[in-house]
Amino acid sequence: MDPKLVEVTQLFSRFKAAFARNDFDTSVGLLSQLKVLLTKFPSLPPSFQQTPNAVEELKIARDIYEHAVVLSVKIEDQDAFERDFCQLKPYYMDTCDIIPQSPEEYPILGLNLLRLLVQNRIAEFHTELELLPVNALENACIKHAVELEQSFMEGAYNRVLSARQAVPHETYVYFMDLLAKTVRDELAGCSEKGYDYMSITEAKQMLMFSSDQELREYITEEHPEWEIKDGCVFFQKAKETQPCKEIPSLQVINQTLSYARELERIV
Amino acid sequence: MAAAAVMVSSASGLLAMLQEPAAELKLHALANLNSLVHLFWPEISTSVPAIESLYEDEEFDQRQLAALVVSKVFYYLGELNDSLSYALGAGPLFDVSDDSDYAHTLLAKALDEYASIRSRSLKAAGEEEIMDPRLEAIVERMLDKCITDGKYQQAMGMSVECRRLDKLEQAISQCDNLNGALSYCINLSHQYVSHREYRCEILRCLVKIYQTLPNPDYLSICQCLMFLCEPETVGNILGKLLFGSKDDALLAFQIAFDLVENENQAFLLSVRNCLDTLSSQTSAQALPSDQSDNAAIEPSGDAQMTDNVVTPNGSAHTVDSNEVSHADRLTKIKGILSGETSIQLTLQFLYSHNRSDLLILKTIKQALEMRNSVCHSATICSNAIMHAGTTVDTFLRENLEWLSRATNWAKFSATAGLGVIHRGHLTQGRALMAPYLPQSGAASGGSPYSEGGALYALGLIHANHGEGIKQFLRESLRNTSSEVVQHGACLGLGLAALGTADEEVFEDIKNILYTDSAVAGEAAGIGMGLLMVGTASEKAGEMLAYAHDTQHEKIIRGLSLGIALTVYGREEEADTLIEQMTRDQDPILRYGGMYALALAYRGTANNKAIHQLLHFAVSDVSDDVRRTAVLALGFVLYNEPEQTPRIVSLLSESYNPHVRYGAALAVGISCAGSGLSDAISLLEPLTSDVVDFVRQGALIAMAMVMIQTNESYDSRVGTFRRQLEKIILDKHEDTMSKMGAILASGILDAGGRNVTIRLQSRSKHDKLTAVVGLAVFTQFWYWYPLTYFISLAFSPTAFIGLNSDLKVPKFEFLSNTKPSLFDYPKPTTQQTTTASVKLPTAILSTYAKAKSRAKKDAESKALEKAEAPQSEDASTATSMQVDGGAEKKAPEPESTFQILTNPARVVPAQEKYIKFLEAGRYEPVKLAPSGFVLLRDLKPTETEELVLTDTPATQAATTAAGQQIPGASAMAVDEEPHPPQPFEYTS
Repeated sequence: MDPKLVEVTQLFSRFKAAFARNDFDTSVGLLSQLKVLLTKFPSLPPSFQQTPNAVEELKIARDIYEHAVVLSVKIEDQDAFERDFCQLKPYYMDTCDIIPQSPEEYPILGLNLLRLLVQNRIAEFHTELELLPVNALENACIKHAVELEQSFMEGAYNRVLSARQAVPHETYVYFMDLLAKTVRDELAGCSEKGYDYMSITEAKQMLMFSSDQELREYITEEHPEWEIKDGCVFFQKAKETQPCKEIPSLQVINQTLSYARELERIV
Repeated sequence: MAAAAVMVSSASGLLAMLQEPAAELKLHALANLNSLVHLFWPEISTSVPAIESLYEDEEFDQRQLAALVVSKVFYYLGELNDSLSYALGAGPLFDVSDDSDYAHTLLAKALDEYASIRSRSLKAAGEEEIMDPRLEAIVERMLDKCITDGKYQQAMGMSVECRRLDKLEQAISQCDNLNGALSYCINLSHQYVSHREYRCEILRCLVKIYQTLPNPDYLSICQCLMFLCEPETVGNILGKLLFGSKDDALLAFQIAFDLVENENQAFLLSVRNCLDTLSSQTSAQALPSDQSDNAAIEPSGDAQMTDNVVTPNGSAHTVDSNEVSHADRLTKIKGILSGETSIQLTLQFLYSHNRSDLLILKTIKQALEMRNSVCHSATICSNAIMHAGTTVDTFLRENLEWLSRATNWAKFSATAGLGVIHRGHLTQGRALMAPYLPQSGAASGGSPYSEGGALYALGLIHANHGEGIKQFLRESLRNTSSEVVQHGACLGLGLAALGTADEEVFEDIKNILYTDSAVAGEAAGIGMGLLMVGTASEKAGEMLAYAHDTQHEKIIRGLSLGIALTVYGREEEADTLIEQMTRDQDPILRYGGMYALALAYRGTANNKAIHQLLHFAVSDVSDDVRRTAVLALGFVLYNEPEQTPRIVSLLSESYNPHVRYGAALAVGISCAGSGLSDAISLLEPLTSDVVDFVRQGALIAMAMVMIQTNESYDSRVGTFRRQLEKIILDKHEDTMSKMGAILASGILDAGGRNVTIRLQSRSKHDKLTAVVGLAVFTQFWYWYPLTYFISLAFSPTAFIGLNSDLKVPKFEFLSNTKPSLFDYPKPTTQQTTTASVKLPTAILSTYAKAKSRAKKDAESKALEKAEAPQSEDASTATSMQVDGGAEKKAPEPESTFQILTNPARVVPAQEKYIKFLEAGRYEPVKLAPSGFVLLRDLKPTETEELVLTDTPATQAATTAAGQQIPGASAMAVDEEPHPPQPFEYTS
């Protein structure tokens, strides 16, 4: 067996051990070493050279990246998640002819969809969705994300929040929590447009805060323009929109005239 | 196993990897991106800022790779400027030898950028633009690569473009074919370098390289030096060669002839002066070295010898043979440089080979209505052009009474026509014209018209070689108060003193101008221009000021043409003056501005000038200006005749007849003598235009294009000749087009069918006299006598071989094509011919094949025969008729070659078929197919057989009493040309 592959395998087992122990610092260190080692394999994307060990190498690389994704969720690092997922994706999209499908594929794809939803990147969410085969939509993990998005779009925020109880995979919890925050932001945005003011109790209920204190903190942090007085939250409606822009009539007239003059000259 | 071609579907993985903290991963991602960028540039383009920041990160050790990736992405996005700047950042990673579109495009871009920066920084010398050293490095790498790969021409071209003379030098010096490379560069600098000063720089550099060669090519050096206007250096080279062996002296003569061909009078004059001073200085010093070479020479009085060199008189008693031969050579070379030798030889050639067809003239004369003076003088003019330089005036003498119908200005023209006929007859010129010249002292009964015409004729005879006649013309100018005589004298003086910028002459002419007489003033304006041709002196300002003052349109027109002449060939230098003229209120001055553009940028095909002219051609309000603007295109483009028909083709279909006329003449001027098929196709419809003057212009232009082309070369020539005849014979044809047809038949057969219109010398320099001649010729629109200026543009199409005594020895060479292709056109009827002409016979193809097989054998035999040194008996025994080219036996298929004997007619299109025979007695110094060629004698001990010794000897005869008719007198009657001894050739 290829010594490099052996080295990677050993290192990976150490990583898995650390990962299982929830020793994240060690895991991260080992992971970056692993990634560097992986660059030495020519069989991996994007070159896909057909080396004798290609299948093993691809498999282990995919495994490593899958773990990397999960790890990034555990350490709650969204950037790392995106990075690792992007690097993992070619293994899902381009290698189906070489290595068998991974059991983790759909949970991770679903996770990614969820992330996009959390980050409110709806366009990308749909792009990713389009790239999936039709039967993938039957998968519980994917279906979960799709349903969430539908509820989210409809404004059925209560359904979104209640979905947290029915996650298909334990890693989803992190994003579901984040999703609650996203929902709250949406609600706050809508209330601001919809009402002039709202009593504190109502606001608390609306924005799903358990105490006044939490509400106050939220307001000072996210919406400093709101005002709390007389037991009510006053939404300073965004200043009346400035008068619509003036039509550049003079400029248009000038241009038209000069075109006419030029035309006359040509003939 | 894996599918054969697994590809990643997206670069997002790699792009994500760029964000990884580990440097190795970034590197890995970059390297992969670099190889995949051609597939994924749309995806990568969104992450370009990230890669850019990598490039800007000082600590990242593969910044150059990042730059390369960014550069490629920008290239695919079409942002070449950004792409280039990042490619520069990529440093050595940007591979100049890469064979990809990316590399090619960027290299081209880099070269363009570099070249434009270089030329900008040269133009604005004050503010140096900062050159990116990296850009310079890339260009240098590229040049070095070309040089090491042996692509020298590419390297030379690029270094010329980028103004890197050091690299040019390097490329040339490493090239294996040094002389080829140098001549390539000379061509390059003339064709593609539009900036005059820079061209000079290149040439200077080339001369430097030439001089380092062990065996320099003096012919090319001197051509370069002439362009650079360095007469001293040329003088030195010639001086050195004259002291050398006999072969060196031959070379010196050859150089001198080549210089003369370019017609730069002022330059030749200073070379001559330089030789004078040089010989008086150096002969004393040079003698010792001569002695060391040749021990047999006795040392004798040095001082005396120097005297002998300067004035080689017959009393050389103690002088050794070496000195005598040197003095002899010196006089000879001075003779050549003064132009006299070549003029005399040309005169002999044109006289002896004259093949003009008097029957054509006779037909014209008979067809014309008696009282139509325009056609009458056009016929006289046509005769003059037909016999230009041949000294044959039979037609005039035969038709004295008819001729006497010319009165007033027609008489002026008729007399001037004599000057055209006797052009170059320097020694006899004044004697010939004596009967018509103003008689000093006694009040002569001669009409001022013939007197003026005679002065003009003298100018034409001595055009560009007027040292001898200048004084006489000045006196005549001062002694007369008749404006007609003044008119002739001004033109004559201008012609004789062409381009000499003589202050005194200028003052004389200026005085005439200030008399403010319309007729004399016009000629004065032109005369001043001729005098100051190409000097770009401040006199132009003076002339311009007077043009604004005067009321006479004629004077303004003369002056504006004169001003245009002064900026001849000055290119960018003339821009201010051109700007001033083209912006003027007065259309006549704008018209002059067009000529200024034409002459300043003559034969450069300068884009800017073409642009300007085209702009005026469509936008000016005056028809005259528009016509001239189009016409001027012909002058700008004469170095690339193939371009002209394409450029003016749209204009030739203009609704404005003036523009059509201009288009016709533009084609005529730039394609003159080329017989270019495109040009003929463009002119053909114009010859039957609805407007009479367009027909006139088209006919003349067509004649200029077809000059010396015969029917078997292009069948349309025959059609055209028939068309001319038809127009002339047609009673209902307009006078204008009739006149055009008459002139056209003159031009078609100009100079006894032995001259062509050539605006460029064989070495691709512009011929000043010819260009100026044509420019003034185009003024015939306003003033018919100026038609005669076309004679300045004629140059004989002859191969004239000379031995070291500048005599014409018997010498034969081969024209490797069918004789009929370049033969003289058939005479109009059989009665007038002396030689029988072969008729085309129908030959069956099978017969032809069999025949050609048989012929091949015969040919090879014949060649052997021709090459073998022939005794005189053998040469007379062969049955091929020399030089006439037509074989006696009609049914024989035409041979595929022809032996020509020195001096021979070689038309321009024929030049590429000329071959020199080996194993002859003489060997040409320069392998030129036409012009003056010095022949090296390989058997100097044998006696030489000379030909062409019959000069057109003329005695000044007495004037036919009472009759002041041109041509009636002053011509030797009994001198008919002797055809060269024919010998026959059997196959």
